[in-house]
Amino acid sequence: MALTEDDVRGIAEYATIALDTEELAAMTAYLNDAVDMLEPILRYAAEDVEPTFHPMGGSANVMRPDAPDDVRALPQDEALANAGSRRDGQFLVPSILGGER
Amino acid sequence: MSENLDSLTAAQIASGVASGDFSAVEVARAALDAIDSRDAQVRAFLQVTPELALAAAEEVDARRAAGEELPPLAGVPFAIKDNMNLVGTRTTCASRMLETYESPYTATCVRRMLDAGCVPVGKANMDEFAFGSSTESSAFHPTGNPWDPDRVPGGSSGGSAAAVAAGMAALSLGSDTGGSIRQPAALCGVVGMKPSYGAVSRYGVVAFGSSLDQVGPFGRTVEDVALAMDALVAGGSDAFDGTSRAVEASFRAHVNDDVAGGRVGVIPELMRAPGLAPEVARAVEEAADALAAQGVELIEVDLPHLDAAIAAYYAIGPAEAFSNLARFDGVRYGYREPGCPNLAEQSAKSRARGFGAEAKRRQMLGAYLLSSGVYDKYYYAAQKARTLIARDYESAFGRVDAILMPVSPTAAFKFGELSDPTQMYLSDLFTISINIVGNGGVSVPVGLGADSGLPVAAQLVGRPFDDARLLSFARAVERGLASAGRGLAGAVAPLFAGKGGDLA
Repeated sequence: MALTEDDVRGIAEYATIALDTEELAAMTAYLNDAVDMLEPILRYAAEDVEPTFHPMGGSANVMRPDAPDDVRALPQDEALANAGSRRDGQFLVPSILGGER
Repeated sequence: MSENLDSLTAAQIASGVASGDFSAVEVARAALDAIDSRDAQVRAFLQVTPELALAAAEEVDARRAAGEELPPLAGVPFAIKDNMNLVGTRTTCASRMLETYESPYTATCVRRMLDAGCVPVGKANMDEFAFGSSTESSAFHPTGNPWDPDRVPGGSSGGSAAAVAAGMAALSLGSDTGGSIRQPAALCGVVGMKPSYGAVSRYGVVAFGSSLDQVGPFGRTVEDVALAMDALVAGGSDAFDGTSRAVEASFRAHVNDDVAGGRVGVIPELMRAPGLAPEVARAVEEAADALAAQGVELIEVDLPHLDAAIAAYYAIGPAEAFSNLARFDGVRYGYREPGCPNLAEQSAKSRARGFGAEAKRRQMLGAYLLSSGVYDKYYYAAQKARTLIARDYESAFGRVDAILMPVSPTAAFKFGELSDPTQMYLSDLFTISINIVGNGGVSVPVGLGADSGLPVAAQLVGRPFDDARLLSFARAVERGLASAGRGLAGAVAPLFAGKGGDLA
């Protein structure tokens, strides 16, 4: 069943991308095309094989010691340098709940 | 006597610098001069870095003056895809989202090229966040194909391929999630390698599809690519990338190995794929003939599940991209929409304005595919198809050492010619399956196509982590073609050869 603009509005909300009305129409057409293109995959859903989530089987999770990594940890000012808004050594964001409209 | 950089391979530049025929600073100045003269038309670079280049070159010259032994690629100018961090440069991923992002650290792959003595000349254009096959989705500007600037260089690493093809860098780095090194290499007439998944560290490379991405080099000869591979794997596995594995730095040592007695697979069915241009099919046959003439046995193999590869890729890739690009929320880095009353609106509007159309499309597709009730249908099925495709390759590699196939179905196309996004996706048929399974692959130029007059290429795919042997087959193709007066080994695109780039 084809995706409607309402469906796509919901996906955009989930993806946190504010689409305008024009984009919504184009995106709906695209998603329906793209999902059609994925059709060949459906016949594998019932295959009796294990899925491979990661190529080159055999690689396992790699853990590091639970300790500060002084080589990779950026100094505070460098970590904040690319932020659009900061204050007192922290990332600054607008109100998380609510905010006036 | 004035010599031009165009006539020198990376290997020759490094040996000339080491023996004092010219200095690293002279080479860097010549490369920057070539960029000055050529890049206004090619537009391969998003940022040129003369200060960094000259500083690195001066260091090489100082080390030589002090009597130190120089590293293997001392003084070789190289370009860096703009999704790789290098301190002192922006890393934009060709996106408005990261237009002002300053690299906070240097990617391991870039660091290793610098450690090998390479001189960074700039950051190369790409499709935005690597989503594309033509570099047209760059938010900043398109890049022209050096063989015909009215055509695309391929993508997503189009700037990296074009910089090498136009003689503005001897080597460059790209990343390949579905063909993004091999396809632009094919379209620009240079050698491009996607190593086995995990062979090269991805630390400091902006992630697209984490089970698919791999970093690799471009060069104008197979030997240069082998030298770059040695540099990229020197130092062993990278503790900063959990997928990184130790690989022996013996690419250059094995590149001229005799291939006689080797077995290379050919796939007759694939050569009849709809949309495959006759001149590209002919190029693959020429590569096969070159191998056969050197004692390689050609064996027919079959990859029966390959027809599922595009669908599997366009389920897995966008899903992983959606997860990876969720980090761009306008808070810690990236474009931030001003004046929003709350965080949710700031995130949604920052992402809407920061990302271009294709980046939004891929993330929307990924979000849909990972949503409740849909996940099992496509994403899970795609991972099952992945198992079957991997088994196909495993079974084929029980009989052969490498598999020969096309790279791109056609030579370089014109700007705007493939305007429908899903049509563009279908052009990835020959490249994406090895991202799905992880094996290495390399694109080797065969010559100029009889119909288009543009570069055409053949692809060799290897066993997992058999990348050095894979390059020896690529070298055999290059050698065989050269002896028949074909191939493009070492060639700078004629429109740009000799424009600037003289060694003073």
